[in-house]
Amino acid sequence: MSRFTLRDSILATLLAALVLSAMPWLMSDFALALTLTCLMYAGLAVSWAMFCGATNYLSLATAAFFGMGAYVTAWGAETLAYGLAVLLGGLAAAVFAALVGAAVLHLRGAYFAVITFGLGELVRHGITYYEKAYAGTVGRVISDPPETVTIYHTVLLLTALAVVTALAVRASRLGLALRGIGSDEERARTLGVDTRRAKVLAFSLSAFFPGALGAAMAMRWTYIDPLSVFNPFIGFQTVLIAMVGGAHTILGPIASSVLFSLLTEYLRLQFPYLFLVILGLLLILLVLYLPGGLASLLDRWRWGKSRA
Amino acid sequence: MREPLLSAQGVSVRFGGLVAVDEVDLAVHAGELVGVIGPNGAGKTTFFHALSGILVPTSGRIVVVGDDLTGKSAHAFARHGIARTFQTPRVFKEMPAIDNIRFGLEFAGRTRKHAHDAFDEPEAILEFLGLADVAAVPAGGLTPSKQRLLEIGMALGARPRVLLLDEVAAGLTHTEVELTAQLIRRVRDELGLAVIWIEHAVRVLMDYVERVAVLHQGRKIADGDPRAVAKDAGVIEAYLGDEGEPAVEPTRKAA
Amino acid sequence: MAFWFELVATGLITGGIYALVALGLNLQYGLMRIMNISHGEFLMLGAYLTWLGHTVLQVNPILFLPVVALALFALGVVVYWLCFRRIIRTAPAVEVIEARSLLVGFGLLFLVQNAAYLAWGADLRGYSFLTEAVDVGGARFQVNRLVVFAFAVGASLLLLAVLRWTLIGKAVRAMMQSPTGAQLVGIDTRFLHPVVFGLGLAMAGVAGALLSMVYEISPGMGEPYTVTALIVIVLGGLGSALGSLLGGFLLGLVETFGMHYTSPSLKMLLSYAVLIGVLLARPKGLFAR
Ligand SMILES: Nc1ncnc2c1ncn2[C@@H]1O[C@H](COP(=O)(O)OP(=O)(O)OP(=O)(O)O)[C@@H](O)[C@H]1O
Ligand SMILES: [Mg+2]
Repeated sequence: MSRFTLRDSILATLLAALVLSAMPWLMSDFALALTLTCLMYAGLAVSWAMFCGATNYLSLATAAFFGMGAYVTAWGAETLAYGLAVLLGGLAAAVFAALVGAAVLHLRGAYFAVITFGLGELVRHGITYYEKAYAGTVGRVISDPPETVTIYHTVLLLTALAVVTALAVRASRLGLALRGIGSDEERARTLGVDTRRAKVLAFSLSAFFPGALGAAMAMRWTYIDPLSVFNPFIGFQTVLIAMVGGAHTILGPIASSVLFSLLTEYLRLQFPYLFLVILGLLLILLVLYLPGGLASLLDRWRWGKSRA
Repeated sequence: MREPLLSAQGVSVRFGGLVAVDEVDLAVHAGELVGVIGPNGAGKTTFFHALSGILVPTSGRIVVVGDDLTGKSAHAFARHGIARTFQTPRVFKEMPAIDNIRFGLEFAGRTRKHAHDAFDEPEAILEFLGLADVAAVPAGGLTPSKQRLLEIGMALGARPRVLLLDEVAAGLTHTEVELTAQLIRRVRDELGLAVIWIEHAVRVLMDYVERVAVLHQGRKIADGDPRAVAKDAGVIEAYLGDEGEPAVEPTRKAA
Repeated sequence: MAFWFELVATGLITGGIYALVALGLNLQYGLMRIMNISHGEFLMLGAYLTWLGHTVLQVNPILFLPVVALALFALGVVVYWLCFRRIIRTAPAVEVIEARSLLVGFGLLFLVQNAAYLAWGADLRGYSFLTEAVDVGGARFQVNRLVVFAFAVGASLLLLAVLRWTLIGKAVRAMMQSPTGAQLVGIDTRFLHPVVFGLGLAMAGVAGALLSMVYEISPGMGEPYTVTALIVIVLGGLGSALGSLLGGFLLGLVETFGMHYTSPSLKMLLSYAVLIGVLLARPKGLFAR
């Protein structure tokens, strides 16, 4: 992507978004639902990679952010306008990430992975308990959800925004600081980066999108309970997609979210029983034999061309 | 007297029972080139860690241009104009060489200007170091001696007031050592920096610095003119006690 | 008094299993930086093996324990060779090993868990074994729980003893402290890594076998134990075997007491609250110096 300027990349993103925005009138319901899933995972994976890809942190907090956003919708559905709920969902996740980040971003590696996972679970169990004890419900029905087309456009907008943000961050000083932190955090500090501030800022920024996406998707699911929106697999799958795509890139996670959603759908239909076994096997093979992710294929191809 | 750019006052660093740096005082002024020598394990690198905010000293104060930075994070030191290299190079391996240099310019050096415009562009710094042809190569792919040069470049990118160099000439051939020493001199002269330079190649160091401090078992046992220090009985004792290191006699008069 | 005793004992029994599961995982992590998120799946395999042994071959589950341990050890060596060896060889930094092994762990989790669904279905399986109750110090326990406790603690202590006193144990501890230093003095990682990985799975398998004596089993049974094991090793300190043992008991007690005084639905909330509290107060684990 280095051949393109920031402006080119942003224009390309917006163009793609424009084309995709016409899909509700061109596609079958099934294809549209599939596209929606692709878009959601693309948004999640790109925003995950925005922070984790550059800094080499392994965050499993995506499910927590997603679920928080969804619950903002669930609790506010009757009082809040739809757009406002989505915005608030994103903001709630961003604020939560800033607080959590300030407390735990000094931890690295496995510790950080475990604690971010634990935080998600803590919030999930906390909400479950609260709902049971004080609201007397397990799940919530969203009574008057917007049209599917509206939700599709919201998710598309959020994902496009995530991509544009990731592009801008990468080209900015913040992006440089994050790459420095990923490479050698102490060295970055000796060159004047307030690493704590940079990490908290970027972590919080990257949490906005899963929060907002959770708020939007809750409208589509219409019935939500803590287990479905805080499902740890949302977090795992995001990490998986981003890393299989190549977490230090932006195009990689997008490509791999499309690939994953299609592959999952295909395998599910073809091999309803065997499909998760095959998925597991594929994942292992990918990590072992293509450790740089799909993006490294592109690099290799480009390298081959430039040598020819 | 002018205010020193950097002054360490009674700095001690303890690791458990070991006193790695013991009540060291050192003040440097703009334009000074100070050598620091001492046997292996004397505490030189640890002293640099304290001076650059990587370690908080167990006691003592570190004052940079009038501001007491003791206990502050390393980025505060960097923003006050303290830049350093590491004994084993710590370049950003995945980044192209040029981004390694741009790094300091974008952060620590953002609000200052160099005395010399030539050092305000990463390309110019690479050119100065003779690394222009590897600008796009990921730093991890450079030879160790080029990584050392790049480290100097990263520090220069931070537009420092004080430059701390930890054995930048280690592992170089004799000619390369001389070239590096001349390069350090030029940087000091053109930018008017204060430079503190740790080196094991004592002879060359003594030829190029105007002042040298000697650390031994964490204590500063001498500080002054290289020729006087070389004759100091305590210094000779420290070096002889240390498996007969090379004599500290300068080979020729400081140029 | 008897009531307190019963509560403590219940906590320790749960904790013993936690410790056993966590020990294996922690050993793998401490030595090789492998975050094997599929650890619990191998616990599940151990449980199914024992169940098969009992229902098909009519073997006493206790006598079957060594078979399970050996089978999972062998499986561990194979899994290491097929999956993790390459990661450890090719990864440029430990963080990369952690990340890639986590992904491969997910792959194994999908693979093993769903293969088990295909083989045995989603139904709960079980057999009854030593269900009569005995009186210990005024409290009543089912005999099988006491057996589980004894074997869990026994296996954990055995592992600690191996680590402390045998040559291979010393090699493992040396590797954990300084991988390069240990290689310099001639410790062979090509031998040590698969053995330790196998040992970790053997511990998980034994834990699963023990659990099958008390609870009903299902293909999804392993996952919560992986999560609990992660909590335990973070509590006790990554790479610290003794820490895992103590951390396991601690978590078992906290859960049991917490559930008794609040409500069973708060069990996981309590574990995570303890985890996060500990990590914030003592980032390197409870017992780190
Ligand atoms: N992080 C640490 N923990 C414990 N001891 C340390 C640590 N860093 C350094 N030391 C000890 O402090 C003493 C001083 O070490 P230091 O690296 O500062 O010496 P040095 O003068 O730079 O030596 P060299 O010339 O070999 O680079 C040594 O005895 C060293 O073993
Ligand atoms: Mg040193």
